[in-house]
Amino acid sequence: MKKSKKETSLILSQVIIAVILFVFILMPFIRMVIGIKKEDIDAIVHSPMFGTAVTNSLKTCITTTIISVLLAMALAFAVQRTGIKGKAFLTVFVTLPMLIPSISVGTSMIVLFGTNGVITNLLHLNNTIYGFWGIVIGAVLYSYPVAFIMFNDVLKYEDASPYEAAQVLGIPKFRRFLAITLPYLKKPLIGAVFSVFSMTVTDYGVPLMIGGKTTTLAVMMYQEVIGQLKFKEGSVIGLFLLIPAFVAFIYNAITSSQPKLAFVSKEYEVKKNRIRDGVSYLLVIAVSLFILILLAAFVMYGFVVRYPRDMTPTLDNVRFFVKIKGLMHLKTSMIISLIVAVIGIAVTFVTAYLTARSGYKSAQFLHLMSMTSLAIPGIVLGLAYVLVFKGTFFYGTLAIIIVVDLMHFFASPYLMMYNSLGKMNQNLEAVGFTLGISRLRMIKDVIIPQIRSTFLEVFSYFFVNSMMTISAVSFLFTYKTKPISLMIGQFEAQMNLECAAIVSLVILVVNLLMKFVIYLIKKQVNRKSISAVNYGS
Amino acid sequence: MFDKDLLVVNNLTKRFDERSLALDNISFTVKEGEFLSVLGPSGCGKTTIMRILIGLTEPTSGKIYMDGVDITDFDSSNRNMGIVFQNYALFENMTVLENVEYALKIRKDRRASARVDALEMIKRMELTEHAQKRPGELSGGQQQRVAIARTLVLNPKIILFDEPMSALDVATRLQLRKELKKIQKEYGTTMIYVTHDQEEAFSLSDRIMVMSEAHIVQMDTPHNIILHPENQYIKDFVIENLKIKIDSLAVYIEDLNHEEE
Ligand SMILES: Nc1ncnc2c1ncn2[C@@H]1O[C@H](COP(=O)(O)OP(=O)(O)OP(=O)(O)O)[C@@H](O)[C@H]1O
Ligand SMILES: [Mg+2]
Repeated sequence: MKKSKKETSLILSQVIIAVILFVFILMPFIRMVIGIKKEDIDAIVHSPMFGTAVTNSLKTCITTTIISVLLAMALAFAVQRTGIKGKAFLTVFVTLPMLIPSISVGTSMIVLFGTNGVITNLLHLNNTIYGFWGIVIGAVLYSYPVAFIMFNDVLKYEDASPYEAAQVLGIPKFRRFLAITLPYLKKPLIGAVFSVFSMTVTDYGVPLMIGGKTTTLAVMMYQEVIGQLKFKEGSVIGLFLLIPAFVAFIYNAITSSQPKLAFVSKEYEVKKNRIRDGVSYLLVIAVSLFILILLAAFVMYGFVVRYPRDMTPTLDNVRFFVKIKGLMHLKTSMIISLIVAVIGIAVTFVTAYLTARSGYKSAQFLHLMSMTSLAIPGIVLGLAYVLVFKGTFFYGTLAIIIVVDLMHFFASPYLMMYNSLGKMNQNLEAVGFTLGISRLRMIKDVIIPQIRSTFLEVFSYFFVNSMMTISAVSFLFTYKTKPISLMIGQFEAQMNLECAAIVSLVILVVNLLMKFVIYLIKKQVNRKSISAVNYGS
Repeated sequence: MFDKDLLVVNNLTKRFDERSLALDNISFTVKEGEFLSVLGPSGCGKTTIMRILIGLTEPTSGKIYMDGVDITDFDSSNRNMGIVFQNYALFENMTVLENVEYALKIRKDRRASARVDALEMIKRMELTEHAQKRPGELSGGQQQRVAIARTLVLNPKIILFDEPMSALDVATRLQLRKELKKIQKEYGTTMIYVTHDQEEAFSLSDRIMVMSEAHIVQMDTPHNIILHPENQYIKDFVIENLKIKIDSLAVYIEDLNHEEE
């Protein structure tokens, strides 16, 4: 029998993925950039607001990045390198702020530190923190969990053997830290700095809520576009917001190479040290307590008549939430998130399979394209969609929201898939061919069963982020397709903190439930494979 | 003893990029039932030959004949060959039994007896007590036996091994060598075995093909290679290295002899 033709399905899927990524990421973006004229740039740059906004953005973001990254690193050390108890629970707890929209974090700042804030009242504070410090604390709160997860993963899988070698050689502890830990953390540190900075500089949720007169670039862009429908001005500001994410993208593209091969490394053994553990407990408890107070404050605002004057429990706010069709928006959000998650699994899997296992050199181009979503902040992507798709049948549909979420959140889950697939033995398909097993069969019977837990993680990532995003979607929704997270901005305008608190809690609960369900399924999947292993032996 | 030509390779050339050749116009013949080792330093093209023989890599030019049939353009699965990779590439999500059975279940002519055949093969490879385990729970030697069982069950005419033992300890290697020879006797399978261990090549092979930089330097029986080395390269790379090993062992043997006196 003659050898079958080149694998046309592989080539075809490469073309399809390339077209999808081009049409829904690159093309809108390029269209936006091309549309910007020199006069527009001049007009914005010379407007009095712009200079102040740039200064405000830089000041708040630099401060936030420093605090957030240091806090995240300290927490990761406390969880991975000390003898404290309850680490699994603490890891979940300190990352809770990742499950609510940034604008909810902004709400929480008012609820805690505003004129009538819970902490303001508790500590009898006189001045509130509207402005610089409000933005910084809020931004730290929603950005440190991202950095924490990065450090946590890196420390968890660090090979302990160099430390043991150094210890045997009598190298003092502090020098070991300088010589081994710091160089090892350099890459994740730079990665975390880029992530936190570009995340906070493009977020309008927190500064809109608690910024007061301190207007940042992102808020300025939001107001130009939402408030005054000035798309050109919006695009120009978007161009500036793009810079940090773009730098991060370039850095990523240069440094992220092949997926790392899994090799057994020596796990780190924690030595006894009372003082270190004590300090770690203090830190972790302080952070947890803050989050606990934050949740309590949401509950207090949401479920009493009028905090702090009338503390009678009530469901009035819930009723109001229902009355203004809150449940409908919740349903919309959940439908969007589920569809994004399911399609997201399929698209990231196919893309990552092509780049990690097809062996085609051209697939490396797809890899780069897949990462570009890292370089384009949500609000910029959203605005680009407005410019390109306005007036088409696509505009105003649920589909455009789904697509924009899918593309906006594409890079991270794609990388999860890429790493899992790349780690698997590269000769699997080759062996399959020699045994007469087709590629498709291998994918179904051998590849996919081995990365089921990555599928679950990707699902969870797409779902949770689509539930809480306020960036790309904010320019694209209609009344019918409005996600629940965008209700908060509307409450902000009406100063209805009570309902903003309710909505934040609803999103938190849905996301927590989803995480819990995923956790249960994952456990089930793992147990199944273990029991199958033990069977009969 | 081996008089029938099974595999004939003519003028095989492989060029991955403009600058260098991975294989430069190589021709050789493999006899039916023989054990042929391919010996050579890293990067000389050993893996490339194996991959071309089994159809995972396309040659730039050249022809491969099996039993007189031109199989150069055949699908990997239609060449009647099996391959065992260095890292085995077992299906981690399947049990040992499922690994061996999987390819059988896909072939129409073998499907009906798949389970029976797989169990029989597992028994022959002395893996019965591990049949329900996953590859992750097996030792390196056991994993290798699964990899062999997986291809052997399809009754290939030739099995290719690409440095299958370099990840194993010495004792396991010795054990597996014996088993390979046993399998070969039992099934009469032709084996082509890639290694860069001179000792292994000399102890296992009917013939050895010594390679260097995309060429075959000499291809002959171990005996003839030692007696009539083709050139300085064979003397240095093969015989010298072998001597060093023997000399270092000889010291101990002398000690042994002294003790016995
Ligand atoms: N896919 C490929 N693309 C480009 N060059 C390749 C490819 N595969 C092999 N080569 C090159 O071809 C040459 C021969 O490689 P090959 O893997 O056959 O060597 P080898 O003898 O098996 O080495 P080793 O003992 O290290 O396994 C090397 O120079 C290698 O760099
Ligand atoms: Mg090789």
